[in-house]
Amino acid sequence: MPAALKRKEKDGTPYRRPPAIQAWIEKLEVVDRASRLPQFDGASRKHPGYVPTEVVIHFFRQAWIDGEQGQFEQIFRVLLKRVEQSLRSTIWNSRIGSATDIRDEIISRFVVLVTKDCTSQADLLDFYEIHFDQAMVALRTSVLRKFKTIAGDVTTVSLGSQEPDGPEVSPEVEVALEAFLSGDPQKIDDPAFRSVFFAAIDRLPQGQKQVIGLLLQGVPIDAKEKNVMTIARILQCDERTVRNRRDRACQALKAILEKEAEL
Amino acid sequence: MSTEHPRLDEEEVLYAFSVEPRHDRATLEHYLNQYPEHALALVDCSIELMMDASHSGDEVQVSSDQVVDQAWRQFQAAMASAQGTAAVNNPFAQLQPTAFKSMARRLDVSNLFLIRVRERAIDAATVPRRFVQQLAAELGATADAVSAYLRSPPTMASSLSFRSNVKPEVTAQIPFDQAVETSQLTPAQKEALQALRD
Repeated sequence: MPAALKRKEKDGTPYRRPPAIQAWIEKLEVVDRASRLPQFDGASRKHPGYVPTEVVIHFFRQAWIDGEQGQFEQIFRVLLKRVEQSLRSTIWNSRIGSATDIRDEIISRFVVLVTKDCTSQADLLDFYEIHFDQAMVALRTSVLRKFKTIAGDVTTVSLGSQEPDGPEVSPEVEVALEAFLSGDPQKIDDPAFRSVFFAAIDRLPQGQKQVIGLLLQGVPIDAKEKNVMTIARILQCDERTVRNRRDRACQALKAILEKEAEL
Repeated sequence: MSTEHPRLDEEEVLYAFSVEPRHDRATLEHYLNQYPEHALALVDCSIELMMDASHSGDEVQVSSDQVVDQAWRQFQAAMASAQGTAAVNNPFAQLQPTAFKSMARRLDVSNLFLIRVRERAIDAATVPRRFVQQLAAELGATADAVSAYLRSPPTMASSLSFRSNVKPEVTAQIPFDQAVETSQLTPAQKEALQALRD
C-alpha cells in the first residue's frame, strides 16, 4: 500500500490519488526495481502498457526516500523527458518570448519543485501525483503570466483598431458573435474545429482571451443580481468594456478562422 | 471542496484548482470566491485547462538529451547549495536558463563561451581580471568569490553527498585565448574579449 500524500485540502483531509493511479502504483510496487524501470521509458502514451506519469513521479520520490540514487537519476531523466514532451505541443513562439525560453523557464521551475521536495521544503509534487497534465497546466499558467507581466499585454492579430476599450462596435457584430459562440454548439465539440478555434483564441490579446474564455465556460457578461459572478465583476471592469473586448475578439477570431478555411 | 480559507500563494491555489476533478463554472466560481486576490490567475488557468483538453491526445516523442542533462545539473547544483556541501559556492547555481542567456547577451559573449566559463572549462589563471569583474557584477557576487569558483576543480559531483551512478567526466581545461577562438564568437566579440587581457 503506497504512502498517503502529505498535502491536505483546505478542510484538513489529505489529498488522494485517483483510484486508477493508486491501482497502478500497487501493481508496480510488487515488481522488483530492475524490472520496473524499463516500463517507465519508451512506450507511447496510447500504448496499454504506458505507465502514467503520476505513477512515475511516485516511484521517483520513493527512490529518493529509499536512498536509491541510481534509480533516482534514471527516473529523473525519464520524468524530465516527459515534462519536455508535454511542453512541446503546448508552447510556441510568441511576442512574450521564444518557445525555448518559456520551456526552459517551466522546466527550471519544475526542477526547483523537485529540489524542494527532496529537501522537504514543500509538498507541491503531490499535485503531480494526482493529475500530472493538469498540474503542468498550473505551472505553465504561472510562468506565462510572469512572461506576460514582463512583456506587457500583446496583440498578435491585426484588429484594425488597437484601442482595447474604444467605442462600441456595430450591433451586426454582436449578432454575428452570438451566432458564432452559441449558434452551433455541436461545432465546438468537433475536435478538428476546436483545435483550430482554441489556437486562434490563444493568439488574442490577454483581455480578449479572458472574456472569450469565460464566455465559453458559461459565465455571463453582466447581471442585475449582485450575487451572480459575471465577467465584468471578475475582471473588475465595466460591462461595456467586456462587450467591446468580446466584439473585437469575435472579429479577430472570424478573420483567423476564415484564413484557416482558405488554406 | 470545503469552505475554509487558509492563505495560499498563487502557485498553491493554481495547483489546487488544476487537480479538481471538474473544471466547470461552479468550480471556477468557488475558487474565485475563496481566493479573489488570485482571480486573474484563476481565470487564466481555467482557460489554459479548457484549451489543454484539446491537446490531450497529442503525441510528441521528440525530446532533447541536452535539456535533460541541463535539468540534472541544475538539480545537482541546487541540492549541493541546499545541503551546504559544495566546497566553493557556485555563483551560477541559482541562475535560471533564461537569465543565463540574458547574461550572455549583456556580457556580449556567446552562450557556449559562458557555458565554458560556468563549467570551469577555462584555465582560471588565463582569465583576465577585468572579465572576472564584469562577470561578478552580473552575478551579484564579488570578484574574489567568482575567482575562487573558477579556480576550483572542474569536477561536477565530487563534493556532493548525492552521486550519479554514471562516472562524472572531468572537462579538460583550455586557455582563455583558445576559448575565445573556439566559442562561436563574432570577430567583434573576440576583439573585445582580447582587449580585456591584463
